[in-house]
Amino acid sequence: MNQASKKFFKKGDPYVLLTSLGLLISLGMVLWLLAIVLVKGLGIFWPRELVQINSKDENVYLGELWNSGKEISENEFEQIVEEEKTQLKIGNRDLYGYDFIWISDKEIKTMTKPQNAAVFERSEYGNLYGFILQVNLNNEIVTDSSELFNEAEKGISLAHELKIKLDEIEEEYNTLLTPLNKIQREISLLKVNSDFLTDEEAKRLNLLKEEENKLTESINQPRIVLEEKISTLKERLNSFTVNVITANGDETLMQLKNVVRLYQPNEMGIFGKSIHYVQNLWEFLSGEPRESNTEGGVFPAIFGTVMMVILMSILVVPFGVLAAVYLNEYAKQGALTRIIRLSVNNLAGVPSIVFGIFGLGFFIYIVGGSIDQFFFSDKLPAPTFGTGGILWASLTLALLTLPVVVVATEEGILAVPKANKDGALALGATKWQMIKKVVLPNAMPGILTGLILAISRGAGEVAPLMITGVVKLAPDMPLDFNFPFFHLDRKFMHLGFHIYDVGFQSPNVEAAIPMVYSTALLLIAIVVFLNLLAIYLRNRLRKKYKSSSF
Amino acid sequence: MAINISTAISRETVSELLNENIVIQTNNLSLYYTPEKSALKNVNIQIPEKKVTAFIGPSGCGKSTLLRNFNRMNDLIPGIKIEGKILINGKNIYDPDVELEDLRKRVGMVFQKSNPFPMSIWENIAFGPKVNGLSNKKDIDEIVEESLRQADLWKEVKERLNESALDLSGGQQQRLCIARALANKPEIILMDEPASALDPISTGKIEETIDELRNNYTIVIVTHNMQQAARISDYTAFMMVGELVEFNDTNTLFTHPDKKLTEEYITGRFG
Repeated sequence: MNQASKKFFKKGDPYVLLTSLGLLISLGMVLWLLAIVLVKGLGIFWPRELVQINSKDENVYLGELWNSGKEISENEFEQIVEEEKTQLKIGNRDLYGYDFIWISDKEIKTMTKPQNAAVFERSEYGNLYGFILQVNLNNEIVTDSSELFNEAEKGISLAHELKIKLDEIEEEYNTLLTPLNKIQREISLLKVNSDFLTDEEAKRLNLLKEEENKLTESINQPRIVLEEKISTLKERLNSFTVNVITANGDETLMQLKNVVRLYQPNEMGIFGKSIHYVQNLWEFLSGEPRESNTEGGVFPAIFGTVMMVILMSILVVPFGVLAAVYLNEYAKQGALTRIIRLSVNNLAGVPSIVFGIFGLGFFIYIVGGSIDQFFFSDKLPAPTFGTGGILWASLTLALLTLPVVVVATEEGILAVPKANKDGALALGATKWQMIKKVVLPNAMPGILTGLILAISRGAGEVAPLMITGVVKLAPDMPLDFNFPFFHLDRKFMHLGFHIYDVGFQSPNVEAAIPMVYSTALLLIAIVVFLNLLAIYLRNRLRKKYKSSSF
Repeated sequence: MAINISTAISRETVSELLNENIVIQTNNLSLYYTPEKSALKNVNIQIPEKKVTAFIGPSGCGKSTLLRNFNRMNDLIPGIKIEGKILINGKNIYDPDVELEDLRKRVGMVFQKSNPFPMSIWENIAFGPKVNGLSNKKDIDEIVEESLRQADLWKEVKERLNESALDLSGGQQQRLCIARALANKPEIILMDEPASALDPISTGKIEETIDELRNNYTIVIVTHNMQQAARISDYTAFMMVGELVEFNDTNTLFTHPDKKLTEEYITGRFG
């Protein structure tokens, strides 16, 4: 090695380069991952163009350009050739049975973008692609081609209004019938043992039968009125229809009450497409899922994830902080405390699914079962707390993230200057007063670090949740307007599980893939947001306790 | 109170001390960090009321250790062993029925390096009264003002009581710590080298404060600075290697000390 390169190594430059390369690669990987998720996740809301492909074998396909790829095959000379192919989403699953097709590029004769090709987003069976022939609004029939789209949109909003009204009336009807149903149920229960009734039960049965007759008479009038209203509304609703013709020439009649959205992508300019993008994004964030979680929104999952994280934080921070305070301030430092500290640290290495199984065995079966025995025995054998729910899932995750909080809090406590602690004691404070007034406030940055780490870990774990209370589709949310407002025994939806479910367990994998990316992006965004919030709090506290080294 | 005649105290001083009220008295006090390492050996000392008593001696002679015994701060050191008695106002402070927090309220301490809490100035001073049960804001306000005046800091900070105490200069922070100790209205104030980390001007201010406090409080001050001891104290104790060598009124100790060791120390022949 000559002088110059010897000097180069001695100065330490290569190590600067090496370490900066390491940083660059790490940073690069993170940014690359984020970029992929960002582009694929956000890109799906942009309306794609609708193309009509006439193939060489005289088939016509109308659909959204979805993907392109390469097909590898042998040609007549037994050579391996690569050919381009295009994937088209042709929808219309109720008519043809599948939504996506691949066409080899060389089979394409022409590809055009017909102006008035329309996309109907439906509440069942996915999208329908076709051309509007005729719009039927109650008694009006519209066939004028220039009016078709606008009238169809009008029809859709009218149909939705009607549907809401219908739902309200149906609810009224149910409320009316509830007391009658209750009596009838009791009667049928008693009738089951009709040969073995005691005197009391027989009397009760007669009483109930009398009540039943009275009630039936009294509600007869309003009942008939409501039933009429319902049937007229239903008729009207079903009369809003649209005649559509698909690319193959098949005509179909579609009810507007099933249409969620209608748009003509080839007619929309940039402005129109942007509005559509925002609408789609908004539906994603605030709507309910449809089509086996492959379409619609993920709002229940967002809600479930955030509520679970908050519940977990409420559970883990007090326990973690108190444990760390005891280990550091009260316990006599010796072999026992070393062992305890070691055990707590090792908890961090246990696979998360083991926590899930512990949660199932201990929290759900033992604790939940006991709670059911004592408080909800009238509902048995249907379990209330003896089955998975948001409370048990949050508790399990709190256990999972406990070691992280304990370790971070301990570091925060150790960073409190001894001089401050001595000063507090010299002023006559008891040990607990010193801890409460001097140690804990000073250790707050460390505690918040622990919380940040706990949130990041907890929000992303899926395995333990699957066993302790997450479901694919939850009928209610764990927080609503019915007393007692917090329903901690309910099952919930979770973004991480949603990704798994949509990506691997959905019947329509092709349609699901974009959803996976956007949900992943959303989960990352939520965790980043929660972290930023905690970091902001921590920075403000750090400025206050300048001397703290954390 | 009977005066413990130990060889450290000269006859003249004994007669002086008989006229004083003794607030702190140690009887054969010995302290061991570990069974082999002793820090104090058989110390018998009397601290008179409302006077300034200085402890001087070379590094490691045990003066800080002795000082920290008076408010039982040494209890915090694990493994420590204490023999003998410390009587404050006639009561042995190691008696089981002595309440530790009450003792520390009556015996305040100022540390070598100022240690203000990272709170506002007001909160710092209010800390003592609050932990001892006071909660009325007006009462505490009065205490805060009184303590800051006594520590000669009121005029400088009265406009910014809600600002962080960490923003004060070094000298101001130390005076804040003095005010904080005064807020508990103690009888005795222990000062462990309070001015050693400060510049001469701030040191002068601290010495002025001590001068103003001497009429109302018993002050025991540990100092490395013999000139400071000579300037401000009424009585001086000279210690070496954990033993009390001489205890005398300051003038006598610095002009014609009893013991040869003392003379060698103050004339600078060693330590």
